[in-house]
Amino acid sequence: MKKLLAVTACPTGIAHTYMAAEALQQAAKKKDVSIKVETRGSVGVENRLTEEEIAEAHAIIIAADMDADEERFKGKPVVRVGAGEAIKAADQLIDRALAMKASETAATQSKPSDYVENVQKLKSERSAGRTGPYKHLMSGVSFMIPIVVAGGLIIACSFLFGIYAFQQEGTLAWGLKKIGDSAMGLMVTVLSGYIAYSIADRPGLAPGLIGGALSSALGAGFLGGIFSGFLAGYLAKLLKDKLHLPKSLESLKPILIIPFVTTLVVGLMMVFVIGTPFSMLMNALVDWLKNMGTANAILLGVIMGAMMATDMGGPINKAAYTVGTALIASSIYAPMAAVMAAGMTPPIGLAIATFASKKKFNREEKEAGKAALVLGLSFITEGAIPFAAADPIRVIPSCMVGSAIAGGLAEAFGCLLRAPHGGLFVMLIPNAVSNVFLYLVAIAIGAVVTALMVLALKKDKTQEQLTK
Amino acid sequence: MNISGIMNKNIIFLGLSASSREEAVRAMVDGMTREGYVADQKKYLAAIREREGKGTTGIGYGVAIPHGKSDGVKAPCVAYARLAAPVDWNSFDGKPVTSVFLIGVPEKNAGNDHLKILIAISKRLMHEDFRKNLEQAKTPEDVLKVIQSIDES
Repeated sequence: MKKLLAVTACPTGIAHTYMAAEALQQAAKKKDVSIKVETRGSVGVENRLTEEEIAEAHAIIIAADMDADEERFKGKPVVRVGAGEAIKAADQLIDRALAMKASETAATQSKPSDYVENVQKLKSERSAGRTGPYKHLMSGVSFMIPIVVAGGLIIACSFLFGIYAFQQEGTLAWGLKKIGDSAMGLMVTVLSGYIAYSIADRPGLAPGLIGGALSSALGAGFLGGIFSGFLAGYLAKLLKDKLHLPKSLESLKPILIIPFVTTLVVGLMMVFVIGTPFSMLMNALVDWLKNMGTANAILLGVIMGAMMATDMGGPINKAAYTVGTALIASSIYAPMAAVMAAGMTPPIGLAIATFASKKKFNREEKEAGKAALVLGLSFITEGAIPFAAADPIRVIPSCMVGSAIAGGLAEAFGCLLRAPHGGLFVMLIPNAVSNVFLYLVAIAIGAVVTALMVLALKKDKTQEQLTK
Repeated sequence: MNISGIMNKNIIFLGLSASSREEAVRAMVDGMTREGYVADQKKYLAAIREREGKGTTGIGYGVAIPHGKSDGVKAPCVAYARLAAPVDWNSFDGKPVTSVFLIGVPEKNAGNDHLKILIAISKRLMHEDFRKNLEQAKTPEDVLKVIQSIDES
């Protein structure tokens, strides 16, 4: 059976959002079609459509006189009308939606887009394809990253005045450090909160946030935060789905019962059961990293570096990145240096390769090389994806080797990075990177290695392929 | 929100004569005041007028749902009137109005109960059988019975 989705919204009409929804539901019922309608009316958004539902839907009806958050339907067939139309002619609308072909809009969507847009698309496709616990973890990480980046960069700004300038109370450096520290203090809280939010929607958020805050307070760090996020999310979801209450109490469930019960359980677990072992684990990890010998440090840099280039923005890359950022919060700055160096080299290396060779890349790829350089300098590893996707067997190993070398060298040179992002730009901030010059050398060597390897592995193109 | 629970047969008017929307609303508010739902007519009427000023409450199908949240209202209530002759309500579909639901909610009521009542009624209006039953109700008791179908749905 074909599944339809609809969104109804109306900014002024008092009840038209709901009347349109009801009309569509009735019309669909008559035709024996399944439909779910999201209403965006006077009492807020209800019955929100999920990503999975959108992916599965045959077509989407938007009956709205205002913005209905349409970005999320990109690539799906959409029938768009005003809310009034759905009230008057719901039957025809259902017919029109059923008659839509998936290819109709898909064809217009796939027109050749420019390089950066292509990278964006690959990124969002990949995140749409994620499922299960991994999706929830990534969702938490993606909410956390802006906080870490904002906080980390602001702390880095305070180093403009010298590494210890913030100790002088009342100075600008002190203020910047305070702002950054507040942001970093939220990191684990938000990670945990949005893992839970991803699993259980709104009812999961409160227990997740509180569990994460407890994890910070107990010293259980990001490991504890990940644990509390999953615990809070799955528990809240369990209560949401399986706990059936009399109708009169049902409305109390999301605002009172689920947050209260879940937070209580998660909180007690964190305080009395999980907190201590996780904080010991974190301490052990931090001690090990702090007292690690040079050989081990280089090995760690090599491994994290290779991870950054394995799947460029995918789970292995994010795992290395998350560890790097999380350790900044524990004042361990070396792994982050390795991570960023290794994340910058793949696009830079590929860019160098396109500049160096006339015969191994077609015109389109040469253009893409320029964009990849900019993305690489900005520490957007995903800039290498289009090259990797076109020729994974040659490109990915080349990137991994270059990144591993960059990561290892960054450690060997004793580079430290006190900000979690920023690429070349963060290096312009004095003191944000220790040993800036050697750091640049590490990145350059890694990139050149990648370029040389790609050039050695790739075959020359025919004349015809070159002009493509 | 149980709608039939906040109505009573004394504020259901069948064949109410009114020549304008103002007159219809005023007559219904009078009824609500007599029944003790409304303490301060002036305040409540001002709230209703303010709402009408923002855009019509004539939602189509010959039905209007004026409403006001005001501290002139003592207890949540819904009045219903079937007008003796249609009046102009500047409706969404251009048709004059013959059926009026008037919603009153005290200012101190938290949240948006008045909107929820409004939504429940307007959703039900999309069902033809509901509109027909409402039209054919002969006594206030019949109307109450029809309204109960909103609460049960």
